[in-house]
Amino acid sequence: MKKKLISLFLASAMVVSMAACGSSGSSSGTAPEPAPAAEPAAAPAATETKEEAAPAAAEEAAPAAEEEAPASELVDGKFADTRSITVEIYDRGNDGGSDPENNMYTEFIKKGMLEEHNVEVTFKKVPRWTETDDINNLLAAGEAPDICVTYSYPTILTYAEMGGVIDLNPLLEQYKSELPNLWAWLGDQNIYWDKDPKTGTVWAVEGRRAEQQRIVTFVRQDWLDKLGLSAPTTTQEFEDMLIAFKDNAETLLGKDASKIVPFSISKDIGWRAANIITAQMDPAITDKDYYINGFDDRMLTEPQTKEAIRLLNKWYNAGLMWKDFALQQDDTVEDDMIKAGYVGSFQHNWDMPFRNGEDGYNANLARNVGEDAKFVAIDPFTNSDGKHAKWLYSPAGDRKSFFPTTNDEPLASLLYLDYISRPDVIKYLQAGDEGVTHEVLDSGAIQIIAATGDAIQNSGKNIDYTITCNGTWFGDPDLAALSLAYGYAGVDPELVSQADKIARTDGLTPKNVNVGTIEAEAGVGDTLSQKRNEVYDNAVVASEADFDSVWDSYIADYLSSGGQAIMDERAEKWDEYFGAATMLP
Amino acid sequence: MSKPKAPKSKVKFSVYMKKYWQLYVMLALPLIYLFIFKYLPMIYVQIAFKKYSLVESVWKLPLAKKHGFEYFIKAFSNNDFKYALRNTLTLNLLDLVFGFPAPVIFALILNELCFIRYKKVVQTIAYMPHFLSWVIIYSLALQLLAPDAGLLNMMIRNLGGETIPFLNDAAHWIGSYISFGVWQNFGWGSIIYLAAIAGINPELYEAAAVDGAGRFRKIWHITLPGIRSTIIVLLIMNLGNILGGGFDRPFAFQNNLVMRVADVIATYVYRVGIKGLQFSLTTAVGLFQSVVGVFFLLLANWLARRFGERGLW
Repeated sequence: MKKKLISLFLASAMVVSMAACGSSGSSSGTAPEPAPAAEPAAAPAATETKEEAAPAAAEEAAPAAEEEAPASELVDGKFADTRSITVEIYDRGNDGGSDPENNMYTEFIKKGMLEEHNVEVTFKKVPRWTETDDINNLLAAGEAPDICVTYSYPTILTYAEMGGVIDLNPLLEQYKSELPNLWAWLGDQNIYWDKDPKTGTVWAVEGRRAEQQRIVTFVRQDWLDKLGLSAPTTTQEFEDMLIAFKDNAETLLGKDASKIVPFSISKDIGWRAANIITAQMDPAITDKDYYINGFDDRMLTEPQTKEAIRLLNKWYNAGLMWKDFALQQDDTVEDDMIKAGYVGSFQHNWDMPFRNGEDGYNANLARNVGEDAKFVAIDPFTNSDGKHAKWLYSPAGDRKSFFPTTNDEPLASLLYLDYISRPDVIKYLQAGDEGVTHEVLDSGAIQIIAATGDAIQNSGKNIDYTITCNGTWFGDPDLAALSLAYGYAGVDPELVSQADKIARTDGLTPKNVNVGTIEAEAGVGDTLSQKRNEVYDNAVVASEADFDSVWDSYIADYLSSGGQAIMDERAEKWDEYFGAATMLP
Repeated sequence: MSKPKAPKSKVKFSVYMKKYWQLYVMLALPLIYLFIFKYLPMIYVQIAFKKYSLVESVWKLPLAKKHGFEYFIKAFSNNDFKYALRNTLTLNLLDLVFGFPAPVIFALILNELCFIRYKKVVQTIAYMPHFLSWVIIYSLALQLLAPDAGLLNMMIRNLGGETIPFLNDAAHWIGSYISFGVWQNFGWGSIIYLAAIAGINPELYEAAAVDGAGRFRKIWHITLPGIRSTIIVLLIMNLGNILGGGFDRPFAFQNNLVMRVADVIATYVYRVGIKGLQFSLTTAVGLFQSVVGVFFLLLANWLARRFGERGLW
């Protein structure tokens, strides 16, 4: 008997180990095929019942609410019984940052929501830099948080078309009186930004940008000084400056001269050369042309973009740019080069060198190179009108909050959005406690100071928590304007003001062309972003003689992968809504 | 008529089972595994012919346009898919041409070494790369081969040469990709051949030595024929995989500059299907891939039988 038992045990152990080997051995060969099938396989079962439940509940509640009181379940804004919701929060994985799910700010929100609305909040972290992928996986698995946040509207749209997202329109209307802060902060413009003109559906609420500054060019002030150059004011002067950097590498970097990068980019060229591209754009471009070519927010198919890239191609071939940019999976290597002081200039977010406190670009330069080493904003690129044209952010177009159909507490979730939009809540989340995260200056301005431990804000202005607000606000526009330059711990406010001013100079505000869903855009966003980067990257590194053929052939790929279909449908929709007009009303 | 027969066979069966049930218990788990993870998902192959929705049951999904073949037509009219198909074939064929013989040759060389300790050390070192993930290998490759910051290119430049675009030019990239593949796998792949060689009757070698055969004669007439069936079985399995292949290696090595030669079906399906949520389209691609894979498998098996080997079945 004993022998038998042992043999059975051994046999089953072997079976288990064999099964384990089998899985690793065969998965590589066949994984791609069953994987897409297997994943959704679990999802319908998980979402089916809830999908029915959520709209049904909303519909049932609606007539009842109209008959009795305007807001049925709430008494003084509070639920009678405690509800619980989960909220997505970005995890930036900062070195030495605070725990995104559990810190001073999450405690504040949890406490506030419980006291004000009797709602228990749980945060669920999602990695910031792969947020679209991760939220996709969570949605497909039916495990998405009740309040999801993403920058990618196409992702929301894709799920909405599959029936995986709650239509907010009826809810917003029904509970409007319960959501005064949300309305006051976002207004009809942002709340109904994505409202379908035909069906009236609202899949997501657009967060508002308190700051609209976007991208600025930065240059090493100390390099200019060393070479006796003044800040370039035209494209030609900028180019001459890059050449001067390269020619004088020995002077600037000594033994590291071979590591010099006069102009640095990443594989996302559409972002990292955005102002060069925008400066090439015809100032008289019609709204219609811009819209039809506007699916790609990096302006790939806009008429004059090719000429901007030709310029980069020339610089690349002249050795003014970094040759490894396209091989990097992320920006860490480039960041390190900038911090080590090998980079002369770059374009990026308007406050890039000031961000991240002690780990910021300028802070690192001061440590690694010298006190006078720093990046300052310049404004060299002009369009054919002689203007320093550059895009601003639109007041919307930031994070979009949406509720997947697995959300059983749409009202509690809306109350969360309302709470998070309250001026005093925004102020606390952005400024924290006095003496810990900020000081109040004599002028009344709020100066952000370096915080430690639980009080560390993992994102600038704590935007990861203020999901309806992006940028310095403090709940008060005057205070925000006054404090803007003091928003970066340990940074000279002069530098911030200068970058801010340049970022706004001749800024172009994007317009909202709302013609409903463009079917061709569903599901192709990621693929086309990847294709766009392929076009840009390959065109930049082509030889000057091959530039045209490389550009044309990669553009052809882009168009065949869905780009053309989008442009055609956009043109069609434009005609349908605006007829022969070429400008928006 | 059949009634008296049935109990008889039943008795036989129970006797048989009493004797061998452990074997069947051992077999059960792998079978369950195969059923759950390989056969059950096949139900969802129908997604390829239907308009996919996250919240509907697959049985209720509406048929796609063009009699359900919309997504196949869409795939074959898409440049990306054509590149991916072409690249899968070329990269796998090159892997086969360079990667398949490498372990055989390595095993033969190892087998001829007399100094046992040296042989073991070499063997162990050759196995090691197999345990590195492709992501790590790529970051090694980047440190070594990047055009500006790569060690090798720095050396070449310091010696007065021109930078070689190992990773950022299509042709060079293919070379690097294949070389790293061979490097990672030849040691590990040689294990099975070494085992097969160990099974060859040593008397054959003695007899050959008596007949005056040299080292190469012995390899050619004894060792190679001795491991021939192993080689053929592995070749069949490799051929069946000609349209499959791993995901992590191409995915780790890809960059924007070489996507035209680096995008394979596995990564295409991941990018477009899973990240882009076009499940129907990529299920269609996956189905196509599997059907072609089966075709190659049958072909290789048939060839093997033609050459007088046993084949897979």
